[in-house]
Amino acid sequence: MDIISAHDLAIGYGRTEILRGLDFAVPEGRITAVVGVSGSGKSTLLKTLAGLLPPLSGGFDFAGRPVNYRSEASLRLLYEKIGVLYQGGALLNGLSLFENVALPIRMQHPKLPEEMVRDMVFASLAQVELAGSADKYPAQLSGGMTKRGALARALVLDPDVVFCDEPSSGLDPITSALLDDLLIRLKETFRMTLVVVTHELRSIERVADKVLLINDGGLRFSGDYAELAASDDAFIRTFFLRKDSHDDA
Amino acid sequence: MSDTVLLPKRLRAPEVVALLDGIRRSAEAGPLTLDFRDVEEFDSSTLALLNYVRGRLANVATVNIGGALARAEESFVRRPTSEEPEGPPSGGLPSRALTITADRFIFQVKSLGRFLAMLGDEVYHVGVYLKERKGVYPGETWNQMFFMGYRSFPIVCLLIFLVGVTISITSAEQLRLFGADIYLADLVGIAMLKELVPLMTGVILAGKVGAAITAELASMTVLEEVDALRTMGVVPEKFLMVPRLLAITLVVPLLVAMADVVGIFGGIVVARITFGTPPSGFIAEMVTAVDWTDFGWGLIKTVVFGWAVVVGAGFKGLTVGRSAEEVGRATTESVVLSITLIIIIDCLFSFILY
Repeated sequence: MDIISAHDLAIGYGRTEILRGLDFAVPEGRITAVVGVSGSGKSTLLKTLAGLLPPLSGGFDFAGRPVNYRSEASLRLLYEKIGVLYQGGALLNGLSLFENVALPIRMQHPKLPEEMVRDMVFASLAQVELAGSADKYPAQLSGGMTKRGALARALVLDPDVVFCDEPSSGLDPITSALLDDLLIRLKETFRMTLVVVTHELRSIERVADKVLLINDGGLRFSGDYAELAASDDAFIRTFFLRKDSHDDA
Repeated sequence: MSDTVLLPKRLRAPEVVALLDGIRRSAEAGPLTLDFRDVEEFDSSTLALLNYVRGRLANVATVNIGGALARAEESFVRRPTSEEPEGPPSGGLPSRALTITADRFIFQVKSLGRFLAMLGDEVYHVGVYLKERKGVYPGETWNQMFFMGYRSFPIVCLLIFLVGVTISITSAEQLRLFGADIYLADLVGIAMLKELVPLMTGVILAGKVGAAITAELASMTVLEEVDALRTMGVVPEKFLMVPRLLAITLVVPLLVAMADVVGIFGGIVVARITFGTPPSGFIAEMVTAVDWTDFGWGLIKTVVFGWAVVVGAGFKGLTVGRSAEEVGRATTESVVLSITLIIIIDCLFSFILY
């Protein structure tokens, strides 16, 4: 079953159209990688799917219901079902890691007893192996810890879908691989749906069940990694397989 | 018959610069051929030289360009050769100026609309928060009160005291000419309570509190923290702004009360030194000219100024672009906007009060 399905989606800023005519689906309980060259509009697409940037035209369904950007109720419903891991983590600097992870709980469920909030926060931090750093502030965390802390915050209310914007960017290969393992574990253990924006080829190969390739203002490819690997498309071969199309000639 | 210049093995920026004048002079004198056969070391200035010679010096030929230099030349991005300038649309200067002015005017009108919409939203959010008590981080109002009140108190007191002293010294000289020394107390009391304390407190808040709010919120916007709040189901305009608005509302009366005392104290000091007026005499005379209504209006004005500062600063902070340099620009604009709003509101109050 598809948890997100986009229909003739066009997105951009103001009058500038960045992507158009997007028709795709995100399967439930799988990891979908959104890939493309820098500046192709991957993060912009993620913003639209996360309810932050209204589409210029077309739209998308989330869990079978159309998302209406003009309706606060519709957006609130969307926000309740998603978690977002931002490129830089976007942890609030004035709050400790514990308070950052507790923030969505405190805001959504203000009457929840403090003991339960603590249990939920530590459960989420334990998933990302940061339970021992709960009292640290974002400035005291390394890049990898910041990403994992931000992921803990995105996971704390058990969202249906987690959007990850460039989770591996700025990380060394070992930390990056650990983060990939974490994403795979979330999918396998909790049947969580993840939409990962990335251009890390190794990461795509490891984690992605499905790949959406964006290029030249539209969707160039949508399918699983095996299909992608077998593709004859010159751009795909150059992009993914790092094989110049001239080599085939 | 053209002269031939055999270019050196190393032809990078220093060599290109050294050769350029000679090439120009030779080209003016007659046909010239530049032979690149020996060139092995080159950089982008070599490619720019080739481009320049071919585009600008008609009687200079280039020969024997091969190997790596030829391949580099293929990939060299040339400046458009057209003499037509790039960028602004066609049309005469008046037409372009009119278009730019119209665009700026429309932008300002839209900004004003967004600002007023935000002001309305904030009034609504504060009302809803006071009723439901949720959507704001616990304890944040106290943090903001500490920052806006405790941290602003010394600078407000110092500046208001100096303003009190200055206005008293300036007025005392004139009053002495008319033998109206005692009315210094009336003048200082009215000026401080009704005008100078609210205005100066507002301006200090704009510079200290407003700039800090804009810088903080703009940084949060640039670092996607505001987006993160939104996708957590938190309304940033409520979460970030309501504590600040409540804090300024609660802190301003204390600041104004203290500033009134300190400002009048400045007048008392000057009256004592200049005219020998005892403090008790100064206060006894002052209370004949001012009453609690004056204090109350000063308080109301300052609270309104405080809201203008916080909403103006929040507006600039939350509508900033996505680059770090815009944080600085937004902060400056926030202070200008806040002070402008304060003066406009003060002017409106003058029509109501006098």
